[in-house]
Amino acid sequence: MSAGKGIPEHQTLSLWQQICLITSTLIGVGVLTLPRATSSKLFEGGWVVPIVGSTGAFFSLWLIARLSRRFPEKTFIEYSQIVWGSVKWPRLGRWLSIPWITIYLLYMYLSTGIASRLFGEVVVTSVLLNTPIEVIIITMFMLALVLCWHEVEVVARVNELLFPLILLPLLFIALASFQKAEWSNLLPIFRGTPRSVIEGVYEGIYSYSGFEIMFMFFAFAHKNTKKEVAGFYGILIAMVIYTLIVGASISVFGYEELQRVTWPTLELVKTTQVPGLILERIESAFLAVWVAAVFTTVANAYYVVVFGLRQLLHKDIIFQRVIATVLFVPMFFFALWPQNIVEIFHVTSYLGLSSLVINLAIPIIYWIVILLKDWMFKPERKNVDG
Amino acid sequence: MSQFWKAWQKRKDTLQEKGLKDHANKSMESVSDLRLTTSVDENISLIEYQLGKSDDLVVRRFQVKSGKDAAIIFLDGMVDRNIISDFIIRHMTNPNSTYDDPATNEMDSTDGLRQVIRNILSGSAVLMIQGSSNAFLNNTRGWDRRSVEEPQTESVVRGPRDGFCETLCVNSALIRFRLKDPNLRVRHMVVGQRTQTDIYVMYIEGLAHPPMVQEILSRIERLNMDSVLESGYIEQMIQDRRWSPFPQIQNTERPDKVVANLLEGKVGILVDGTPFGLIAPAVISQFYQSPEDYYERFYIATLIRFIRVISISIALLLPSLYIAFSAFHPEMIPSRLVIAMAAGRSTVPFPSLIEALFMELAIEILREASVRLPGPIGPTIGIVGALVVGEAAVSAGLVSPVMVIIVAVTTIGSFASPSYSAAIAIRMLRFPVMLLAGMFGLYGIMLFLIVILIHLSSLKSFGVPYMTPLSPLNLSGMKDLFIRAPHHLLNKRPTMFHVQDKIRMREEENKE
Repeated sequence: MSAGKGIPEHQTLSLWQQICLITSTLIGVGVLTLPRATSSKLFEGGWVVPIVGSTGAFFSLWLIARLSRRFPEKTFIEYSQIVWGSVKWPRLGRWLSIPWITIYLLYMYLSTGIASRLFGEVVVTSVLLNTPIEVIIITMFMLALVLCWHEVEVVARVNELLFPLILLPLLFIALASFQKAEWSNLLPIFRGTPRSVIEGVYEGIYSYSGFEIMFMFFAFAHKNTKKEVAGFYGILIAMVIYTLIVGASISVFGYEELQRVTWPTLELVKTTQVPGLILERIESAFLAVWVAAVFTTVANAYYVVVFGLRQLLHKDIIFQRVIATVLFVPMFFFALWPQNIVEIFHVTSYLGLSSLVINLAIPIIYWIVILLKDWMFKPERKNVDG
Repeated sequence: MSQFWKAWQKRKDTLQEKGLKDHANKSMESVSDLRLTTSVDENISLIEYQLGKSDDLVVRRFQVKSGKDAAIIFLDGMVDRNIISDFIIRHMTNPNSTYDDPATNEMDSTDGLRQVIRNILSGSAVLMIQGSSNAFLNNTRGWDRRSVEEPQTESVVRGPRDGFCETLCVNSALIRFRLKDPNLRVRHMVVGQRTQTDIYVMYIEGLAHPPMVQEILSRIERLNMDSVLESGYIEQMIQDRRWSPFPQIQNTERPDKVVANLLEGKVGILVDGTPFGLIAPAVISQFYQSPEDYYERFYIATLIRFIRVISISIALLLPSLYIAFSAFHPEMIPSRLVIAMAAGRSTVPFPSLIEALFMELAIEILREASVRLPGPIGPTIGIVGALVVGEAAVSAGLVSPVMVIIVAVTTIGSFASPSYSAAIAIRMLRFPVMLLAGMFGLYGIMLFLIVILIHLSSLKSFGVPYMTPLSPLNLSGMKDLFIRAPHHLLNKRPTMFHVQDKIRMREEENKE
């Protein structure tokens, strides 16, 4: 099933929808711990991390966008088989591509589980104290499941609609908390070494994972849109938000205090006062709105898994619905696997590392293979392109 | 798996087709499609046989001026008797007349029995003359009809006061009268095997997207139902998703609204026998937009739109927010208010969910009762219910005073929507969201909103996504979504309905 043949115009993703998809997937549970992770190595200079980290994300997403441009209207699943195969042995491509696709889908699958577990932990420890965490995780999965019953265009539209709901509260919190900022907490401006910057970026990398969903969704982009531009703006928006949040947290709490807080961003929310005192404390409201941000992260990733399997096995929407429901169960058990919050943070740091591998290594390897094949079979170039 | 599914679908389709065919055979097709003969007596007995010798069938025999036998057949009460006596019988028997035809203004002739029967049933007088197998079908329709009145469900402060009535030709004239565009197309269709209801599908050629018009026409054509008593039958049968709580076709009693929508490239559907016309495709903005918005100055129109959006959100969410705040997040309410609320709730024995459900149920009962009660009593009951019962419930300690305020505001809020059928969807969805708020607090409300958002995003009305122009984002449509931009800025038609002629007014000719 080729993604793009004969799709009416409104079923393809506009530039704005691509931006929304990227940004809303990036912004997820990671933001809640980001200020602590970034300031652990770079101290008061932690706000550098989102800026430096974004360059890596830009590069990686640029590679992904170029890959998608090389194979227009084809998803990662489809073009993998072309990249690894050749004209003589089309089967070879199918078999050789399977490990890559497996790694990719497995990573998405596991990160879905962990993101919803993290969210469950936050909700249970701060808002719904008497609710079992299993209930929160199951309801979050159910939401993702409802989204997975629909086609790709619906995913894009939902992200588009939720986008302001994700962005505005974060902007509000970041800007409102500057009232209480102690600017001297940000001084000296910068005293890190290149090594500490790299370590700091490594700590914060989990917040920048998520754009790998574009391996799939770029295939549905509207013909006239520039995918690289969408990637640039998508990451730029996330970067601005991250920098503001980290800067606000460091200036309000100072980096020493940040190290002792589990959810620094949530603490930041608690210090914020709503002008006019309509609501006394807003962290419950923040977490409620925050559901949207986590939902877009979890559901988009889960959608990629389900849709990837559908394409891999050449099935239709009915299969997608069934498999989404079936895969739900093992993911639930995986989400409950880590025993406590410390173990979850271990898992997230592994996931961050593997996202680095997937986002940088896969596109680079793919490009090497493509260029090698171009160089070896120059006369047959057209055929290689598929 | 999928093969099995396909086979199942195919089986379902064939069964349905077969059933419909059998069904269709029962009524109009049961009239044998014979030709009329040259004998008047034979024809009369044929028609009488087909109509089962109904007693309201009137047969008037007379002789035309050439001495031939003739007969007029019509149904009692459906025709204008003056036309028949003055312009058919008197005209045809007058020896000075030089014409052989009746002098009615709309006349047709046929020799097919089925068409004759159909015309008699819809109020024509059929004239047959000995020696000719052609029968004259005279349009003499004239039964008592309601005159054009102010619409009951959609009243405006400023704007035309005429609304549709039950007669199709009057309704289409109300539209023609406002829209003298030669490109206005009216397609006539007949739906309902037994009711034989006339339907006009109206659109402006050169504005409406042709595939969309085709889709609507073919969906109506494919309808194979036995009766159409109101436009709601058609609305529910041709909408894209029949299980959705949201109306995907707009209904209206106002001709000016239909005209405005025709001019945006949409399609209007008028059904005989009901004052409610349909407008397709419909998008989310139907919930809070009223034709009045365009008649008033744009500042106030914009403000009123915001107020409507807020009141619809209140109608949907206020009771559940109360439940969530009082049961799960009391720390969010300002401390003085929370003390006052706790004092009010101290005598209430139920959790806030039960309290809210109880009150909402009571108000829904009141609402339904005041609609059904005969005219003058209705408002009285409303006042008795709202004031007396509410006050008594508070002093009896059944509900808290805050709850009464919330229920009252919620109910008033749901009346602020200009579209009744859209407001029903909101009214209905209030109950599940209250249950979820009772289970998970604000988290539950958010879960519900996201599910609704997913559903709304997946909805389409004749190929137009329901959430346009919010998503897919359409900046030209945003000018007329929450704000109503001044008319000189609305110089282009919204592009989301794929209009052909995009220009609404030429800017330079309208300079101040």
